[in-house]
Amino acid sequence: MAGKERKSTSKKRTVSGREEKPVATSKSEEFPKNTIIDMSSESEYDSSEDQEDDVIEGDFEDHSIIINAEDSDDDDEQEQEEEGESNDEIHSSDIEGASSEGEEADSEDLGSDSESDSELPLKRTTSRSTDGQATAVDSDSEAANDVLNDGETEHLLDEQDMKKLTIRDFGKDLESWREYRKTLPQIEPGYASDSSTEEPVNTIGNVPIEWYEDYPHIGYDVDGKRISKPATADELDKFLENMDNPDVFRTARDEVNQKDVTLSAKEIDIIRRIQGGDIPDADYDPYEDTVEWFTSQTMKTPLTGAPLTKRGFIPSKWEHKRVMQIVRAIRSGKITPGPPRPKPEKQAYDIWADADEEPKEDRRRRPRLAAPRLALPTHEESYHPPAEYLPTEEERAKWEATDPEDRKRSYLPRDFGSLRAVPGYSNFVNERFQRCLDLYLAPRMLKRTTNLNPDDFMPRLPDPRDLRPFPASESLVYTGHTGRVRSISVDPTGLWLLSGSDDGSVRLWELVTGRCARIWTLGGTVHAVAWCPNAEVSVFVAAVDSRVVVVVPSELCSSSHKMTVSEELVRSGFTTAAAQDEASDENLPVSWDVPTTAEQSTGIFISISMHKTVKSVTWHRRGDYLSTLTAEEGGGSVLIHQLSKHKSQRPFRKLKGAVQAVKFHPTKPWFLVTTQRYVRIYNLMQQRLVKTLQPGVKWISSVDVHPQGDNIIVGSYDKKLSWFDVDLSVKPYRSIRYHRQAIRQVQFSRRFPLFATASDDGTIQVYHGMVYDDLNQNPLIVPLKILRGHEIRNSLGVLDCVFHPIQPWLLSSGADGTIRLWT
Amino acid sequence: MGKIVKKFTQGASKTYITRNRALKKLQVSLADFRRLCILKGIYPVEPRNRKRANKGSTALTTFYYAKDIKLLLSEPLINKFREHKIFLRRLKNAIGKNDITRAKSLEDNRPQYTLDHLVVERYPTFIEALRDLDDALCMVFLFSTMPAKGPVDSKVIEECKRLSCEFMHYAIHTHSLRKVFLSIKGIYYQADIQGQPITWIVPYQFNQHVPQEVDFKIMGTFLEFYRTLLGFVNYRLYSSINLSYPPKIDQRMDDSAAGLGSLQIKSREIDDLIKSLPADAVADKSSIEVDESDEKAAEDSEKINERLSTLGSKIKSIVAAAASEETHEAPSYSAVESSAADDGDNVKPENLLFGKHVIFLSREVPRYSLEFVIRAFGGRLGWPTTSGGGSPYQETDNAITIQISDRPVLATQHPNRVYVQPQWVYDCVNARCLLDTADYLVGQKLPAHLSPFVEYAEGDYIPEAAIKMAAAAGFEGEVTTLQSDDRDEDGSEQQHSKSKNDIDSDDEEDNEDEEEEEEEADNDENEESDEGMDGESADEDEEASDEEEAARIKAEKQYQQQILAERAGLTFSEYQQKFGNKKSKAAAGSSAGAASNGNSNKSKRGASKRTKAQIDEEERERIAISMLSKKKRKLVNRTRDEEYKRSKDINALKVRKAEIQNGKKSKARK
Repeated sequence: MAGKERKSTSKKRTVSGREEKPVATSKSEEFPKNTIIDMSSESEYDSSEDQEDDVIEGDFEDHSIIINAEDSDDDDEQEQEEEGESNDEIHSSDIEGASSEGEEADSEDLGSDSESDSELPLKRTTSRSTDGQATAVDSDSEAANDVLNDGETEHLLDEQDMKKLTIRDFGKDLESWREYRKTLPQIEPGYASDSSTEEPVNTIGNVPIEWYEDYPHIGYDVDGKRISKPATADELDKFLENMDNPDVFRTARDEVNQKDVTLSAKEIDIIRRIQGGDIPDADYDPYEDTVEWFTSQTMKTPLTGAPLTKRGFIPSKWEHKRVMQIVRAIRSGKITPGPPRPKPEKQAYDIWADADEEPKEDRRRRPRLAAPRLALPTHEESYHPPAEYLPTEEERAKWEATDPEDRKRSYLPRDFGSLRAVPGYSNFVNERFQRCLDLYLAPRMLKRTTNLNPDDFMPRLPDPRDLRPFPASESLVYTGHTGRVRSISVDPTGLWLLSGSDDGSVRLWELVTGRCARIWTLGGTVHAVAWCPNAEVSVFVAAVDSRVVVVVPSELCSSSHKMTVSEELVRSGFTTAAAQDEASDENLPVSWDVPTTAEQSTGIFISISMHKTVKSVTWHRRGDYLSTLTAEEGGGSVLIHQLSKHKSQRPFRKLKGAVQAVKFHPTKPWFLVTTQRYVRIYNLMQQRLVKTLQPGVKWISSVDVHPQGDNIIVGSYDKKLSWFDVDLSVKPYRSIRYHRQAIRQVQFSRRFPLFATASDDGTIQVYHGMVYDDLNQNPLIVPLKILRGHEIRNSLGVLDCVFHPIQPWLLSSGADGTIRLWT
Repeated sequence: MGKIVKKFTQGASKTYITRNRALKKLQVSLADFRRLCILKGIYPVEPRNRKRANKGSTALTTFYYAKDIKLLLSEPLINKFREHKIFLRRLKNAIGKNDITRAKSLEDNRPQYTLDHLVVERYPTFIEALRDLDDALCMVFLFSTMPAKGPVDSKVIEECKRLSCEFMHYAIHTHSLRKVFLSIKGIYYQADIQGQPITWIVPYQFNQHVPQEVDFKIMGTFLEFYRTLLGFVNYRLYSSINLSYPPKIDQRMDDSAAGLGSLQIKSREIDDLIKSLPADAVADKSSIEVDESDEKAAEDSEKINERLSTLGSKIKSIVAAAASEETHEAPSYSAVESSAADDGDNVKPENLLFGKHVIFLSREVPRYSLEFVIRAFGGRLGWPTTSGGGSPYQETDNAITIQISDRPVLATQHPNRVYVQPQWVYDCVNARCLLDTADYLVGQKLPAHLSPFVEYAEGDYIPEAAIKMAAAAGFEGEVTTLQSDDRDEDGSEQQHSKSKNDIDSDDEEDNEDEEEEEEEADNDENEESDEGMDGESADEDEEASDEEEAARIKAEKQYQQQILAERAGLTFSEYQQKFGNKKSKAAAGSSAGAASNGNSNKSKRGASKRTKAQIDEEERERIAISMLSKKKRKLVNRTRDEEYKRSKDINALKVRKAEIQNGKKSKARK
């Protein structure tokens, strides 16, 4: 009964002034202090009843008086008077006692409530409107969960109760009214009188009650005193109570006041109705019979007895006059139906009379893009075209097979022979329609088609004829090899050519004549041959499978001195090697062997055996060191051998990726290791990485260093040639793509500003690659010549190419087993 | 930091507007919007960046310039369209309620609108209007041939007929027709009006096939504007040559299908004179009119015509002939022509192409087209009554020098008259001279009809007929050298010169002076290309021995093979690699066989030399291309591709031509 209590507190406040006064014993004093001047007289009785119920049941159980509807107010008062002093207090504060007595009353209320409810229908026959009012107030009130509390409704009834104490109530007894007025302070019939604004017991306002969880009180009353927390039963008690209490289902918790509120059956009924969207009042009849305030029955006698006017029977004079006016006008011919108005004919006139001759340029407006004109007809469209313009059978079939939208021409050329045979063109309207569509639907755009002359783009290269000498034509073919010639090498004097082939032989050719001077059959694929660059000796190495043989060809040594120097160089190692053998790195997979006597007789002096196939052999410029590259992953693939000491080294403990090629730098102690994508330059003296070149290609095939050492060319299997200026950048200075197939070999000329690329497409491209001493001047690269001649076998073309050390000649070997000399 | 600019409030999103947004802004329906766009000439545009233009959306939309749409906002037509919409609604309501009087009065007050202001707006100057006249003419000419009971209102068709007729009259008067081309689609005409080339196509005189899928609403909207435009253009054109506009239509002539002759062209002075006369004098204006027949006669003839429609065709022809005899002395157009010629044109009709001829059109030839062309070139002509009334000449007239007929065989032939096929007229116009009639005689196989619109660039394929025509245009001297290899040609040449003497006079050559220069240049080119094309055949001697002939054929075959290889996409070098051995063998064989054959040897050597040079050149170029940057390389390759495609097409034509010639030769040998 929280609502009730709240009400009572508010009452308390409003009448607090009065309490200080001495209590009057007169009847009038016992009336509850009404703050509302009631305008409705209807509900007085019921509400008074209700109030009395409350008062009596809630507070004075022992009396338990149920007052009938017929009970007069006076009775009421008298009864209450009997209650004595305290009664007055109770009246003034409505049911103040309830608040002090606490919750015990609540449960007891239930019974009485239901009792009163049961009586309500009887009493409430006339109280519909009041209830309606009450619900209206309910819906207005903000405390939603409290709205339908028992207390609330009761409170509203209380209000009604209070309302009855108006001047009317004192109708006969004006004296007492005046007394009553005197005793009561004037209350402003404003907000304070509105029940909805009456303060609740707990004045904490709209704050979560959880904030008070840790305090002994639950809030403050109007006087600012703490309202202590009611004792809460523990869970077990609650449970037991729940079990015992038959009204558990209708009990709700009032959190603000920390109380359980039991809803009455009436309230539950109201809740149900609201939930169901019905009118909350059960007694409200929305379909009442209408009260006919004005009768729909025709009266038997008219209201007035005035006779009908003459005006109603005779035709209007003015109307007649107007009609006659029109009639006269028609007669006199002023109004004629006339012929239908002729439509205004389109009159042509000189619309451009004021226009300028020259079109004005309006800067604010974008110039209109005229639609492109239709293409003018060609000979093909003629009704009798020349015979060569007529389509062949295939073309006709093709035209007919293609979709009309995809056709290049909308018509098929036809020869009608003579004009009389020409039929109408069935597509004519369609084509005009398409044109119309194009005109208004197709987006227009200004496309600048520059009439480009491709020659303007061509780089201004010097004429190749000015850059002579360079190898331009084939002059000699060395035939004899039966397999692919994988590698060729020219001796430092430029007289002899060495070639290693898949047929297992190494051939020595006299370069100028093409005579095969000697053949070494080494019994295995010769992957690489390389002359020692030292001109004082005559030594070459050949890589045969996993073996590298060092050969001193005796017939080349014109002087015995050279022969001895060569042999000394080759043999000297055996003595030192024996001593060093122990000290040297044991785990190197290399062994320097003395070849068999048979081999020795052919000039093979040393045989260096390795575990894997040797792919390539490169000499250092001095001619003492040579590097081999074997077909394996990691650092073990690259080895550097010293010929004079028969010593092998492994420069890299580990290397990323498969090494494609290695090269000694011609001027610096640098060593180039080419992996699949990068060229790494290592300084062998300092044992560190100098630079990593990034050609931006997928798979590098070969690399060569310019004799001056600052420029490097890299060829790749993806057809690209990249020129690097090592001082400038790690990115290529120039990338050239000409070859149609993979580049196999790139080679600088040692003597001329030339370089060449050999490719699988069977061509060799010769470039002029001039490097200037002036550092500011970029190297000049001019393609000079494409040399064709090698045949393509199994999609392999030219495998190796080498420049002559002295002459501007180029030698190339191919998969077709030939070696060619280009001069 | 500058002020933060909100996205899509500047730049492309402001410049462009999507169609839907435009509709929303204009508050019009899509159909109305389309009409507006057509009438105002507003076209969609393609923004450089669609996403930016569409406020970040990549949805597929059409864009317009926002300014164009803004311009539409103030367009009075929008209101007119709305009015019309409401009018339609009211009319529908009235009809639905069976309120006939209301419907009638509504119909009488149908909202009208004109498109006059749009003409000036779209074409601020007359020249601009002329430049854009092609489409307008094509449409108007097409609709003038549409069936009256088709999807288009017959009044519109009538107007189109009138407008096209008026325009043709202007072209006739000013002799501004330049080129004509009989294509399989229709007849192309090109006139040169005030320095602007105007091309239009007219369908052949058949009932137009009206396809289902064509939206005549759209075409009608276009036509609406084009009609207005052409009306003003015609006015301006007529007033520029001092003719009154609109010309009156002689109903009698029109009914008898006189075609162009039904228009009564008057010079402005006469018109002004009539206007200046007092009202009572106007009643007697028929005396001033060019057409001599008085009103009564006109009435009579109308009656006769009415009767004619019910009578049999035989009588009809007789009466029509009688009627035409009346007007024989002064055919309507000739009278006007003389007045027009006096006005400003210094061109005497005799100096024109057909100026000295009276041409008679047989029944089976397309009369309207030929009438237009012949009259535009100063010819006088007649036609049988079966193909329309108003002919100034009868078939039996002795003045007729040429009769145009399109039949395989002629039953009767009048003496002193050349019977030619219609193509002769068109070819003469394109050649700008009277061609030899021998090739065009009735029953003869016609020479190919070529498009006069084709301009030959260097290296283009030039059909044989073009060379012949250029030669026939007045360069006999050079022509003989050109055509020496063709025996048939020689014969025709002689004939041609003979007949030319018959028909032509020397005046013509004076006229053609300017053209001569051009054609000379053309001819030179032709010659070169001809030699380049089949040099071997040009060198051939008529008295060549069989051996030589064989060698020549072989060379030709080789050449063809080359071309075929080229067509297949092989470069020359590749071709050489492929056929190199074979060729060398063949060369060896031929040299051994015919050592005396210096001619073929020389040519072969020349060929080999050329190929070597070519290879070098090709290689150098390829090398140079390899040195280019990627972007430029692509650009160069693209242009090269275009060139290659062009050359491929040309080669295909050459090959086919060679094949045809070979076929002919082999047939002849058999």
